[in-house]
Amino acid sequence: MRSRISLIPLLCLASLASAAAGPETATDWSADKAQVLLGKYCNTCHGGKASAGGFNLASIAAADSLTSKQTEWNHLLSRVRNSEMPPKGVPAPTIEDRQAFVLWLETNLRRSACAAGPAPGAWPMRRLNRDEYSATVRDLLNIQVDASHGLPADGAGGEGFDNAAETLFISPIHAEKYLEAAKEALEYGAKDPKSRAVFLIAQPGNGTTPEQAATKILDAFVPRAFRRPARPGETERYMALFRKALLRGDSFDRSILLTLNAILISPDFLFRREEPNAAADPVLASDYAMASRLSYFLWGSMPDKELFELAEAGKLHAPATLTAQIERMLKDGKSREFTERFVSQWLGTRELGRDIKPDEKLFPEYYDAEIQAAIRYEPVLFFQEILAKNLSLLNLIDSKFSILTNKLSKFYGFTIKEATQQPKVLNLPEGTHRGGVLNMAAILAVSSYPQRTSPVLRGKWILENMLGTPPPPPPPNVPTLKDNHAGSPALTLRERLEQHRADPTCATCHNRIDPLGFALENYDVLGRWRTEEEGKPIDASGQLPDGTKIAGTDDLKKALLDRKDIIIRNLTSKMLGYALGRGLTLNDSCTVDQIVTQLTQNDYSSQTLIKGIVLSMPFRYQPRARTATITSKKP
Amino acid sequence: MTHRRLILSRRTLLRGAGASLALPWLEAMSPAATTSRVPKMPVRMAILYMPNGVREDMWTPAETGRDFTLPPTLTPLANYKGDLNILTNLWNAAAKGGDGHYVKTGGYLTSTTISKTLGVDVNSHGISMDQIAAKAMGSATPLPSIELGTAPVTTGVDTNVGYTRVYGSHIAWLSPTQPVAKEIDPRNVYERLFRACNPGKSSGKDEVLLLDQVQSDARQLRQQLGTADQQRLDEYMSVVRDLETRVARAGSGKKMNWKPRARLDAAAKPDAMPEKHAQHVRLMMDMIALAFQTDSTRIATFMFGNAVSNEDFTFVDGVKGAHHSISHHQNDPEKMRQYQLINRWHVEQYAYLLGKLRDMKEGDSTVLANSMILLGAGMRDGNKHDPHNLPVVVAGAAGGRLNTGQHLSHTPDTPLANLWMTMLDAFGAPVERFADSTCPIAGMIRS
Repeated sequence: MRSRISLIPLLCLASLASAAAGPETATDWSADKAQVLLGKYCNTCHGGKASAGGFNLASIAAADSLTSKQTEWNHLLSRVRNSEMPPKGVPAPTIEDRQAFVLWLETNLRRSACAAGPAPGAWPMRRLNRDEYSATVRDLLNIQVDASHGLPADGAGGEGFDNAAETLFISPIHAEKYLEAAKEALEYGAKDPKSRAVFLIAQPGNGTTPEQAATKILDAFVPRAFRRPARPGETERYMALFRKALLRGDSFDRSILLTLNAILISPDFLFRREEPNAAADPVLASDYAMASRLSYFLWGSMPDKELFELAEAGKLHAPATLTAQIERMLKDGKSREFTERFVSQWLGTRELGRDIKPDEKLFPEYYDAEIQAAIRYEPVLFFQEILAKNLSLLNLIDSKFSILTNKLSKFYGFTIKEATQQPKVLNLPEGTHRGGVLNMAAILAVSSYPQRTSPVLRGKWILENMLGTPPPPPPPNVPTLKDNHAGSPALTLRERLEQHRADPTCATCHNRIDPLGFALENYDVLGRWRTEEEGKPIDASGQLPDGTKIAGTDDLKKALLDRKDIIIRNLTSKMLGYALGRGLTLNDSCTVDQIVTQLTQNDYSSQTLIKGIVLSMPFRYQPRARTATITSKKP
Repeated sequence: MTHRRLILSRRTLLRGAGASLALPWLEAMSPAATTSRVPKMPVRMAILYMPNGVREDMWTPAETGRDFTLPPTLTPLANYKGDLNILTNLWNAAAKGGDGHYVKTGGYLTSTTISKTLGVDVNSHGISMDQIAAKAMGSATPLPSIELGTAPVTTGVDTNVGYTRVYGSHIAWLSPTQPVAKEIDPRNVYERLFRACNPGKSSGKDEVLLLDQVQSDARQLRQQLGTADQQRLDEYMSVVRDLETRVARAGSGKKMNWKPRARLDAAAKPDAMPEKHAQHVRLMMDMIALAFQTDSTRIATFMFGNAVSNEDFTFVDGVKGAHHSISHHQNDPEKMRQYQLINRWHVEQYAYLLGKLRDMKEGDSTVLANSMILLGAGMRDGNKHDPHNLPVVVAGAAGGRLNTGQHLSHTPDTPLANLWMTMLDAFGAPVERFADSTCPIAGMIRS
């Protein structure tokens, strides 16, 4: 089981193909070969005089078209990758050819998109998502209540996170809830001297007029709430509201709270927005914009005093300052917000307990509040530890420690003297079959059915979340996995999947998916170690598409470590997408490449990743002005 | 909105639709003669969406017309047989490609093909029929519409098929680029209804001041924005403006000729967010019933679960698994048996709502009789993700505007949009056309 199985050396970026696409690699392909494939399968509808859907192959025939016609190629890529083209009913390339073509095209488009180096992408205005809203109100008013409890959850876009600008929609319910939440939060804060000291910093009396007190409060509050200096006349507009309230007979407190309430439902508070760049070249984001970019990335909340001060002094962009701030921010407890949101969405564990729930009757052990919390937080706290101590990101694949409670280690089947009721960093004894995220209960549960484990789901989970190479959807008319029927001899799941893989249509993907999942069969639905199931010994063996034989989790982790650059690249893409709050573009992959290079040169130390992202072009710059986006049309 | 105008617009509609109908027939069709005696009741409309389709051989009655036997899955509706329209052979042509679930959910009430995207430029290319109704009639009630569900928006994007899961979590679209978020906590729904039913008791004046201020903020801000950002801001401003209108209307008794049709039952306030799915669904059914009884709103959409919902259904006797897994029954008789039990459970919840609404008297009539309550799914067999012959049943006569107690079988692949058009007409918000609609559903509107 533990013998080192010879893995093909030189498994680096190009081996994405062997892990992901099948035997053929991008290097086997050329522009000529691609054109032959297009000519063979697309020419009838998109060649000569035929331009179905307004597309003709002639437009991308030129040798430099990968650079000059990126839009057209990108469109073609997505149609072919999604198996939408060629359409049903006409001859189509084999799955292998399709995947090799797609890989060739992706690689080359990326290469040409990066020819001129990284460029900053759009930075669209976006609403604070529910979590950001909650944390921002908390920090702005210094209150310890969740003001967002009535808001609907946010969906995800881009790289799969709920902070993506493109999917932060507005519903009628938002207007209602923002109004209520602001009122509640302000009234709550007004009752607590500790909160008042932060946002109600003046009182009328002792020679101070209500007007003076309100001005003082607003002068401090507006820039914090809007995360930038107040504009000329801006505070005055809120003073007008304050006076209106005072004039109709409201008390000072009531008047000022009403005024602050207006600020908390203003789009300047609820939306993150930056001054647009009017220049023809990318420019550095303003210092205040940078303070928000940093704080919403690493804290999921507004900038604190120190960030605001650095912004005011115009010092924030200095790389040494940014580096020091990253280190400071990661030490702050608020960085838990970041790890929790990032990890639970990247690894999909947020759905645990929501759409994915282990069967209560079969797995009552899961329905214990302490165990559930320990399971849910293990990957989050683990990632937090890696970041805080600047450990290697390869710990995610395999590690000698985890973050366990007494109960969770017992649940896993071993005892550690040092374990307590609180989660704690603990070294894993030999033979625990733990280490890295793959052996954590949260991941194993979220990639299982409620009633049973599924090698297919687990294999797919690894391809999607670790390697970043999700298998395509099953082709149309794919024969489904044959179930056991009465009368026929009962087949094990392994036997049935073998039958399934005998069909070449199914084999292409399932050869990739199944062995990865089978290697984790020693873990039950809740991630507990098992050596047999229903009296039969567990068989965790399998063969990767490149011929590597693996058996069990140790071999799997070794195989994944051999593909560490693919995994690190995927993690980098995910985190860059999270940090930018949008889906990545082809050009962003140049930034990803640069950061991956930095990581390989720095022993994959976790803070290299954060620093690489923060210091990258897309994170620090605004794109050049697009003429179409700058208008001053009145509504 | 007067009854008179409504009828006029229906005439226009019929002419527009190309029906060559003689005027006397139209006069006869108008219920003018009876409305003078019978107080007019508002028409309500609810859409109950089931994820993952149904077992097809147990859903459709064998006979058509008025003399039909309820098939096994629909037997919980035995007490409401006379209230039903069971519709067969409708489909959503726009949802035939794409993928198994998202196109069939996001585009269910729009009859359009959603854009394939992981997030950028999400677009349903249509406004959902409930929101069209809300735009036309929403000002008659404190809340234009309510959107309910049991599960929060599903996290993440589906990189397998290339869609953001936002699509699978919404059926209501305020605009083609604005899916309407659902309320999933029954207590929050109750509190919303409570505020709606008690106008003037809250500080409506403050709210108007605040919402005024926001709009002036936004006008300042808007001038500094690029077009893409302006669109986002405009979306916020439009919901703010609508809220202000509602608050202002509620604050002044003159502007709004509305009062609750029934007292909101304080005992009906849910305690906490229910943990069990069955209880959760029941409470949401109660909230829909309360909303309709009090006339807080006349439009509701409800998602039993998001697309691909894998809700654990072992709480139903005889079911040993989760919804989506079982819906992929692969023609295994045992799984199909469980699939049908899950479908049947959904029908039971629907029947529960119908029962509640029928028990709510309204003059000589009942809230159910004045409603259209639809139960349906975006696909037929979940194993095949089949968009043909969608399962759909509508209960209630929309205040006498609909014939009921019948199974109507259409030519295969009749647009589902024909039903949306018919329901909008019966609701009092007629449209000339709805997406790919061809004509109203024959035999449904009372002639």
